[in-house]
Amino acid sequence: MDNANNTGSDKSKLFWRSIGDYNNNPKYIELKQHEFPDGVSETIDIKSMSPLSRRKFIALLSATAAFAATGCKDYPDKGEIVPYNNQPEEITLGKANYYASTYSDGSGILIKTREGRPVKVDGNPDHPVNSGHISAASQAGILNLYDPERLREPAIVKNGKLIKESWNNIDSEIIKALESATDKGKEIAIVTNSIKSPSLSRLLKDFIEKYPVAKAYTYDLFNSDNKDKAWELSYGSGKFPGVSIDKANVILALESDFLHSDENAIGNMKMFSRRRDVDSPTEFSRLYCVEGPMSLTGANADYRFRLSPEYQLEFVLSLLNETLFKGRSNLLLGFQVEGLLTKYSLKAFSEKHDIPLNKLKGLVNDLVKNVASSIVIAGDSLPVEVHIAVNLLNEALGNTKLYMNDSLPVVHFENEPGSDIGNLVRKMNAGNIEILIHLDSNPVYHLPLDYGYSGALSKVPFVVSLTSSENESSELSKYILSINHDFESWGDFQLRNSYLSVQQPVIAPLYNTRQKEAVLLNWINGNKNYSEDIYHKYLMNRWQNEVFPQFNSAVSFKKFWLSAVHDGVINLKTMPLDIPKFEESALDNLNKNYNKSGFTLVLMKSASIGDGKYSNNGWLQELPHPVSKVVWDNYAAIAPATAKELKLSNDDMIEVESSGKKLELPVLIQPGMAEKLIAVELGYGRTKAGTIGTGTGFNAGLLMTKSSGISNWIYTGATVKITGNKHQLVSTQEHHALDDEFVKEIHLKRDLVKEGTVEDFIKHPEFLKEHGHDFLYDENHEVNSITENREYTGVKWGMAFDLNKCTGCGACIAACNVENNIPVVGKEQCSNGREMHWIRLDRYYSGTPENPVVSNQHQLCQHCDNAPCENVCPVVATTHSDDGLNQMAYNRCVGTRYCANNCPYKVRRFNFFDFRENLEDGYFQQDSLQLLHNPEVTVRSRGVMEKCTFCIQRIMEAREEATKDGRKLKGSDVETACQQACPAEAIVFGDLNDKDSKVSRLRDHKLGYHVLELLNVRPNITYIAKLRNTHSEEI
Amino acid sequence: MKKTVLDYALKIRLPITVFVILAAFVLTYYAARPERDGIGYTPEQPIDFSHKLHAGDMQIDCKYCHTGADQSRHAMVPPASTCMNCHSVAKKDSKEIMKLAEYFNKKHSIPWKRIHKVPDYAYFNHSVHVNKGIECESCHADVSKMEKVGQMESFTMGSCLNCHRAPEDHMPYLKGKIGKGPENCFACHR
Repeated sequence: MDNANNTGSDKSKLFWRSIGDYNNNPKYIELKQHEFPDGVSETIDIKSMSPLSRRKFIALLSATAAFAATGCKDYPDKGEIVPYNNQPEEITLGKANYYASTYSDGSGILIKTREGRPVKVDGNPDHPVNSGHISAASQAGILNLYDPERLREPAIVKNGKLIKESWNNIDSEIIKALESATDKGKEIAIVTNSIKSPSLSRLLKDFIEKYPVAKAYTYDLFNSDNKDKAWELSYGSGKFPGVSIDKANVILALESDFLHSDENAIGNMKMFSRRRDVDSPTEFSRLYCVEGPMSLTGANADYRFRLSPEYQLEFVLSLLNETLFKGRSNLLLGFQVEGLLTKYSLKAFSEKHDIPLNKLKGLVNDLVKNVASSIVIAGDSLPVEVHIAVNLLNEALGNTKLYMNDSLPVVHFENEPGSDIGNLVRKMNAGNIEILIHLDSNPVYHLPLDYGYSGALSKVPFVVSLTSSENESSELSKYILSINHDFESWGDFQLRNSYLSVQQPVIAPLYNTRQKEAVLLNWINGNKNYSEDIYHKYLMNRWQNEVFPQFNSAVSFKKFWLSAVHDGVINLKTMPLDIPKFEESALDNLNKNYNKSGFTLVLMKSASIGDGKYSNNGWLQELPHPVSKVVWDNYAAIAPATAKELKLSNDDMIEVESSGKKLELPVLIQPGMAEKLIAVELGYGRTKAGTIGTGTGFNAGLLMTKSSGISNWIYTGATVKITGNKHQLVSTQEHHALDDEFVKEIHLKRDLVKEGTVEDFIKHPEFLKEHGHDFLYDENHEVNSITENREYTGVKWGMAFDLNKCTGCGACIAACNVENNIPVVGKEQCSNGREMHWIRLDRYYSGTPENPVVSNQHQLCQHCDNAPCENVCPVVATTHSDDGLNQMAYNRCVGTRYCANNCPYKVRRFNFFDFRENLEDGYFQQDSLQLLHNPEVTVRSRGVMEKCTFCIQRIMEAREEATKDGRKLKGSDVETACQQACPAEAIVFGDLNDKDSKVSRLRDHKLGYHVLELLNVRPNITYIAKLRNTHSEEI
Repeated sequence: MKKTVLDYALKIRLPITVFVILAAFVLTYYAARPERDGIGYTPEQPIDFSHKLHAGDMQIDCKYCHTGADQSRHAMVPPASTCMNCHSVAKKDSKEIMKLAEYFNKKHSIPWKRIHKVPDYAYFNHSVHVNKGIECESCHADVSKMEKVGQMESFTMGSCLNCHRAPEDHMPYLKGKIGKGPENCFACHR
């Protein structure tokens, strides 16, 4: 193949973007050679149009408008200015207020409000885990507050229709029913997701005290029960404490996506990237990944081995055998274990699974060499026995020191022994449950079908759903009670015992809703004296009696409480826990054999829409999957070799049958997958989720069973049938392809992605520059340009992406969407290549489809000094500023798209429609969503070009502040939205003229390079070449 | 009489051409006259508030009411509560103050007519200008002499740029104290 792309250290390395690219598929090559795919601008069929030409129509229209305007007597009228009657003290119109709060998943947030309405969410900088960063899903979660399909008032369901009813009537009916159930001695069941709030847990206990027949049942679609159970078996008690990843020199991740879909992904990413600092290359950690599907963690691994998850136990036992009995560990174990382990050898394992033995030996060497400073992490989806074996391996390697023993997970509310969901369903069927309350949960969608939950629900006379929008469970309820969004609620949350975070409302409830805790509290109080702040008072009361005394504080409770609300989090003192002795009895569980016939099915967590909670969130549906870049869908990911064997290609539908359950799914050929493996994400295919979420993707939860799998998420013995149907999957990667071959004829090399190894860098720090063509910034080399050289005397803005730190999670894209009012365009428009994201996170594969190496690279407006877009604009709508910004004036733009055509990076986006109006009959144009817009950024209409502005609104705000303080604007005053969001702190923004700034240090860094610098466009975005921490010589 | 080409030109062509040229001038003049830009626009306000009395005779500082002027993008029309700081005592029995008190007590906002307007696509910021020492009257004219406030200066992009390019010509009181204003698009349009 001749479209070779050279890397810094390895000239033979090829980069390819998809299987089509790798195989030189003619369709794909065709696609690559156009800026937009065919038909992108041709959706108009002339014959079907009205005979009145556009020109004539516009002429008539403007004439009418002109006459109307001249005829209009009152043209100078400019409307009204309506000030407050009594302005709140903290509000200055036009200035943002920030409030610390907490999401109900426990992450600490800082909410930006303008004129009283939340417009942006970021991490709370004071929060010990989040420290200013939240995930892409949490960033875009603000859309859920303004979702037009939120329930606006409580209702009774009659014949499938919602009849609105007052809170007072509904509450008294429910209380009557609660009392009669108590009198009859029949059970009141509360079904909820696991409780993360100590006050809610207390409230539930109060509820049970008031109505003693009540019982609460918790469940989660994704949980770490297996990990925790293994911990309990291995160490007697407690839960898995989590790992200080930043202390590990070597990390071995087994089927674990700890950097992305794990519950603590933000904290993990922060710790992981801390060990990827190019200024201390000797401190780089080494990440090994052994997994079946291609996860984002796998994409970031230094070494990645493919392994179907049912073989993980075998692998860990082979590793144990290798480390325990070769004099490499001091751990002494009984003979029995020894007998078990000797059956497994690394050599046999490597032959059986076609994993190079020398690399596995390298892994063992690394683990043994880094005793007490390496860690093995097993994914939540793996069964208990693998977790036990991993616990033992960590014990053997002395890695228990890396457990976070000073900050332990907390359980607030535990199901009574023996009262799990299965038990509940049995009682429902037996008619023992009188009232069932869905407390912000959706078990009908989440629970495996073989529980028979929805059938059993019909036997419960009185079903109440507390939910913010209609869902599958509320559909089968008698009462639907509309509840508040997190931003309208009070609360407290605690994930770990070292801190406690507070949730405060930042906007009054938009509709006639109540927070779920207040509803329960009102039922406890018998519907007497309800006021909006009852839960607020309850919360403060609990804090005063239970939290405040722990501090022995000299200040009054009121001050203490207000400071906790202000900070959003308080730190608690903890005693570090000594990890107890490993209980050998746990090892009795290790003797497990799995059925290994047919295909293996892995059900995974979708990092963007979670368990379906964010299904109706267009921003998240349109956030490209971090590895496959697919939008608006889930799919069955299969390995290229498996696809070849089954003669499948992308978009073919297959019927997957597992444990007697069938589901038809579209196929996506995913490089790097283990063979004979099908990986599907959960959370899609909702049947009642609103206009955006309903029917988007496929509900892989239908393949789940109670107990037939290796774990809830891993099933062997699945079969695949080709159905012959097609389903179009849309991904954002194939279009906007930068055509290597075409430009190659003009320039010899393009060097889009440059990479090296840590060893290269330590031995030859200049290796990148030696290979590259860095003559642009070489004073002796004169380059001609048609653009005038500008002098930048003041601040000159620039950005740098440290590709060592970036994991490719997409939080930057989500943050940019919220900050810059970026519209949702829908699946159909995405398939035309019209997505509007200002940041494109390119993913390149290199190596073979079986074992690809993945490289990520952000592409966004490079704000080139010699910007080629500027000199082609016929109306001067895009120009250059004195501080080095490539500006876009929407009002001048007439939509010729010459600039996009001339942009070598393909980062300009054109509004082919007014997308807010275009999608689903103006779904995103509804009133409530108008409140979401950032008032500092224009909402672009149809027919104009747009692109990254380097968050000009933030630059201008910093400038205003500087002027107010009478000082000069500094580069460090400005933080762009993507930079603020990045959990890995991989994005740096600042003043290039300030030689001490971080961004100019990175620009001059030995690993710094620019993309397409041979074009002499002089981009202002620097990329720091990724260093892979691999061994240089084979072991 | 035989019609000649000249006749045709004089009788039909010429009048039409002259008419079209005149009509174009008239229309252009009509569309571009200063009132079209709002100059002279002095609407009736819901309460007959006199800037001359408050800012002129009583010398109340602009920023006592327009608190956002040096803080924010908006100078801010004051809330009724600011008026009531004085008028809960002062001149309670005047007809206009009774109107004000009614708004305030009913917790209604006063729907003031907007006089000065920069288009939505331009992001004007009061605080930067005020904090650079630019006097309010440089754009709003001497409000302290106006019984009824109206727009006296032009609010077009041209008038913004006139000052940005040569601030000292337009604001001699800032001679030596102020540099040129930014002229790049992003300064106002984003």
